[in-house]
Amino acid sequence: MISRIGHLFRLYFLQAWFSYRSLFAWSTPFSYMTSKFGFPFFSMLFFVFVGKFVGFLDPMFIVIGNILMMPTTNGLYGISMTIGNERQFGAMSYLLGSPAPRAPLFLGRAFFHILDGFATVLVALPIAMLIFNINFAGINLFLLACCLVLLSITTTGLGFIMGTISLLSRDGWMFTNTLGQLLYILIGVNIPVEKLPGFLQPLSGYLPMTRGIMATRLVLGGAGWSEVNALLAGELLVASVYIVFGYTLFRLVERASMSTGSLDSI
Amino acid sequence: MIGSFLRLGIRQMDVQLRMRVLSLWSLGLFFVQPAIFSAVGMLLARAAGNSSPDLIYTVLGAGIMGMWSGLVFTSTYDIRADRREGTLELIVGSPTPLRRVVGFRSLLNILAGSTSMFVAVSAALLIFDYSFTGINVAGVVISFALLLLGLWCMGIFLANLLAWSRLSGTFVDLLEMPVALLCGFMYPISVLPVWMQQISTVFPIRWGLEGLRASLKGSPIDTVLISKWLIALGISLVYYLLARWFDGKVHDHIRVTGELHSI
Repeated sequence: MISRIGHLFRLYFLQAWFSYRSLFAWSTPFSYMTSKFGFPFFSMLFFVFVGKFVGFLDPMFIVIGNILMMPTTNGLYGISMTIGNERQFGAMSYLLGSPAPRAPLFLGRAFFHILDGFATVLVALPIAMLIFNINFAGINLFLLACCLVLLSITTTGLGFIMGTISLLSRDGWMFTNTLGQLLYILIGVNIPVEKLPGFLQPLSGYLPMTRGIMATRLVLGGAGWSEVNALLAGELLVASVYIVFGYTLFRLVERASMSTGSLDSI
Repeated sequence: MIGSFLRLGIRQMDVQLRMRVLSLWSLGLFFVQPAIFSAVGMLLARAAGNSSPDLIYTVLGAGIMGMWSGLVFTSTYDIRADRREGTLELIVGSPTPLRRVVGFRSLLNILAGSTSMFVAVSAALLIFDYSFTGINVAGVVISFALLLLGLWCMGIFLANLLAWSRLSGTFVDLLEMPVALLCGFMYPISVLPVWMQQISTVFPIRWGLEGLRASLKGSPIDTVLISKWLIALGISLVYYLLARWFDGKVHDHIRVTGELHSI
């Protein structure tokens, strides 16, 4: 029994490490840095200036929102790539043919992305706070760290789903990209959720990160556990639903591919 | 001579259209991303209490963004795809110069990207009831032509840069948003800090775009507008010459090493 558990852990972490190294397609530290910080940083500045032009008087809202969205580079794009690239690189048939249990094989792809996403926002947020003179005093740093970890985890559910979709479609990356950009609107990154048109607000509630970003903003404003625990619990619940759905979808697609041999022929 | 040149152009653009441009990925670049960025601008305007968005910046700016994003990715991914598929050496080794192939491809990419602007203008007309009365039609046409020229020159410059060095791919990935940011695709340049405005002077898109916006607002063809056109033309020429220089470097490299894959 212990040996079996040890085997599963080994499989989980090895799978996590190798898939992170080989399938995220970052060949050099420079390309890593530009992928992680380039687009998010410049799009953040772009939205800040758009906001300034239209008279949106709270640029910090946009800055903080875009920084809190940074884990999506790992959780959404990274995981989607690590799953979808299996087929593109021709490894899918070997993976599906292996006797390894699927849960560590599939979910293991998230581990280093969660760490990486957390580290990214951990670096970017203090820098932004220093640049924009946000006072650290009064912020519950442990609670803030919990919020950031949770945000790094919750994005992975969408990554699992989009990764599985990219197994089904050659244009999966386009869908992932579109979803990633829709998040700029829907989860309270650039525009407060309560300021969205009425028909979009309920949609925000069903998406991961919405409550996590709200909670983190409150914590940055000095809120404590009691003020954010409902939001964090909601975030955790939504994330769990997405992760379970992503895993179930993968198993369904895998089962279908076994009977039709469809995955590698797409 | 002219006939064979045109035949090459038509065939090259036909292949480019089928292989690279008509894909969901390109359509996403041309239409989806600009629409989302435009929506962010509109919603920010709404959140700021504005009753309606500024159409020239928010909607037509999205069209420019589609043109630029489409160009920067399609023109540079073409070279990357050639390198990956092993056709880059064949193209370079063929009697047709690489710069001509790249030129036709970039031309098609620009024309395909223009559909983004067409959709943005249609949206402005049909959804937002934008009126084109009072615009300077000649100014708009000349500015838009200069904008296309600027984009084309930047496209061939980036493609040749990539052919010369694969490491520049990362740089190109990084270029999409900074150019949108510095050239003020969805806001006036004056919103930017002065040092950013100074950096943006090196992009012909900025000058073409300023001319286009001024003409859309009805500015007459005066010395200010003409000076913007001349600057756009001059900087475009600089990019074209740089592209030719990189093209020469690519051919020099091939003569020395005999291959392009390792660069």
